[in-house]
Amino acid sequence: MNTATDMSGPRRRSGTSMALRRALTQPGVKIGGTIVVFFVLVAILAPLIAPYGPTEPDWMAIRQPPSAAHWFGTDDLGRDVLSRVIYGARSSLAAGITAAVIALVFGVPLGLIAGYFGGLVDMVISRCTDALLACPFLVLAIALAAFLGPSLQNAMIAIGISAMPIFIRLTRGQVISVKQEDYVTAVRAQGLGDGAIIISHILPNVVAPIVVQMTITMAVAVLAEASLAFLGLGQRPPAPSWGSMLDIARQFLVEAPWMAVWPGLAIVVIVLGFNLLGDGLNDALNPRDD
Amino acid sequence: MRVTNEIMALATFAIMASSGAMAQTLRVGLQDDPDSLDPATGGTYAGRIVFDALCDKLVDIDANLQIVPQLATEWSWNEDQTALTMKLREGVTFHDGETFDAEAVKANIERMQTMGESRRKSELSPIASVEATDATTVVFTLEQSFAPLLSILTDRAGMMVSPAAATSADAFAENPACSGPFEFASRQSRDNIKLTRFEDYWNADEISYDEVEYDIVPDATVRLARLQAGDLEVAERMAPTDLAAIRDDAGLALHTAPGLAVSHLFVNLGENGGDLAASPDLRHALELSIDRSVINQVAFSGEFTADNQMIPPSSDYHSDAVPMPERDVERAQELIEQSGIPSPTIEITFENSTTDARVAQIIQQMASEAGFAVELLPLETSSAIERYLNGNFELYIGNWSGRADPDPTLTTFFGSEGSQNLNGYRSEEMDAALEEGRTSLEAEARKAAYDEVAQIYLEDLPTIPLYHPTWFYGSQAGIEGIEIYPDGILRLTGVKPTAN
Repeated sequence: MNTATDMSGPRRRSGTSMALRRALTQPGVKIGGTIVVFFVLVAILAPLIAPYGPTEPDWMAIRQPPSAAHWFGTDDLGRDVLSRVIYGARSSLAAGITAAVIALVFGVPLGLIAGYFGGLVDMVISRCTDALLACPFLVLAIALAAFLGPSLQNAMIAIGISAMPIFIRLTRGQVISVKQEDYVTAVRAQGLGDGAIIISHILPNVVAPIVVQMTITMAVAVLAEASLAFLGLGQRPPAPSWGSMLDIARQFLVEAPWMAVWPGLAIVVIVLGFNLLGDGLNDALNPRDD
Repeated sequence: MRVTNEIMALATFAIMASSGAMAQTLRVGLQDDPDSLDPATGGTYAGRIVFDALCDKLVDIDANLQIVPQLATEWSWNEDQTALTMKLREGVTFHDGETFDAEAVKANIERMQTMGESRRKSELSPIASVEATDATTVVFTLEQSFAPLLSILTDRAGMMVSPAAATSADAFAENPACSGPFEFASRQSRDNIKLTRFEDYWNADEISYDEVEYDIVPDATVRLARLQAGDLEVAERMAPTDLAAIRDDAGLALHTAPGLAVSHLFVNLGENGGDLAASPDLRHALELSIDRSVINQVAFSGEFTADNQMIPPSSDYHSDAVPMPERDVERAQELIEQSGIPSPTIEITFENSTTDARVAQIIQQMASEAGFAVELLPLETSSAIERYLNGNFELYIGNWSGRADPDPTLTTFFGSEGSQNLNGYRSEEMDAALEEGRTSLEAEARKAAYDEVAQIYLEDLPTIPLYHPTWFYGSQAGIEGIEIYPDGILRLTGVKPTAN
């Protein structure tokens, strides 16, 4: 199906899909993918599987240790920790995915433009990116979230903006190397417009590292959401978030450790899942690293 | 002079040698770093704890909030109660060696009334003039009678600093010189403040420690851990949820006092007030939807005092005529119906501390059962306070430290000109009752006036008081003589280390 004369992308694209197929055989992708899918299902099915409402207090059962009625125990307001961890998956995943999508949607086009056109446009975009990258990721996210006010939505925006520069830089670098390729020169010689070249010939060939970066960003964003919530800059109470659950649990570490253990474990496992997935995809999509 | 210095040094050495090889240090864990160590400009509770060791006051309170002598030994009012004559203690010196006398009192009061950065101006504004009639007699002349004056002099406004050292506020705060039992040694910002024993203290026999070190430990759990590890002798503001751990530990002691402070749900009656501003019915509905005892039980392990008034039950001025209403959801629903607003929404703004967040969530749950839609807005402390001061809130969880006298609390919040009257509450009836309370010196007349004040604000509900915190200090069990009064201050007079 691919001939030597057809050098305009599809050959590479099929390489990518082969790589994706190869990725699915990676143990890291299998384990990581299972973990992520598990949490996604938990988040979607939360109302069906949570034994109690996440904000439903029981004044008579505050800080109860794990029991048959409350598998993960209850928190400082007598709410079921299991139900809060289950519902907390919603805000963590929503934050992780939305922030990564924001970073992707704004970062990739800017990177494509900067890398493809170069010159002044590149200069402006790259210097702005440098300025954003000069500020540590979490510090920037905290500053933006504090500026926007505490809510899950604002936390997502803050994390998305903070994660954007890395996408700009990554895409730009890839585009600069891809645009030198013969097939790009060829289609340009055929008289194809810049927009068409970028979308049909460059983008498909830079997608692999972006996919990897996307999964890693989700892991980072989940952690960042937990950090912001821990600092009171995320999900507003009483809605649960793993980070804010940890913040409250911190005061009861000795007398009610179960309040901290479960949300903490959930964060560790989901971040591990995203990282395994990202690593596996990276191995599969970058055969040069082998 | 030189000879006496040497004798003093020898004597000090001899005392230190005889009392054991090591100087006795009292390490006190404070939750916050105090601000300025000048009583004229200090504005923190933690600062007041340090001031007790550093600066003596004209008068003090006892455990029952009665006024007792400190630097002033006796006092009397003139007939129309516009002049207060005080006899001063003799033989008192400041840390810099200056003598304490009537001229020093005059200089102190005038400094606090006039200095640009002074935070004591409004408290001392009723004093028209101060006169030193002789070395140990001072007369305060007032424009009109003002009952809370003595009570005000039991706090920072009554703390006497050395006039010679107090020429500038900045320089003074760096090296304060008062006449308290301990003198300033060093300070590491956000870390510690160290004081050493003042040998010339007038009441030196009652002081048993050679040094006091205030360590700043913001986290209550960490303060407890350091106390348990023997790393602190005393720690203030233990968390109510940690008290069981202290009570169960034979090596530790718990010291409590009913507090003067109040936490209340401040209702904005002004333009930003939302549904509650226009409708006293809705405010009563909200009050009836809340069970204060549950808040106390759930958020504070039942260790605080649930109450419906700004003045705590431990004060004589708490009104028995208006008891705390029981939770009544049905009545609350009726009132909401009467108000004509079918599903009222309210937004509670609070400083993002875990205690206030817990209280807010409990209120949210209870109020929603009566039909309120409650939004919570936790904000970082400085932005929350900024909104509070600008009247930019619907409801705000206020935490007021309280005063020994009821006037500073009630007039500040409910008086038309009160500095904490940030919710637009105006009531002529209230202003008249407050005026009556602050100008009559007879306890009975004042009590009647403050009963009326309570009636009025519990009818109008410009704020919904929730609970009064209790003071909790933890200490090593062997330390003797720690007694906490309702002002929550650790007094070091009479505090003794474990006898070995």
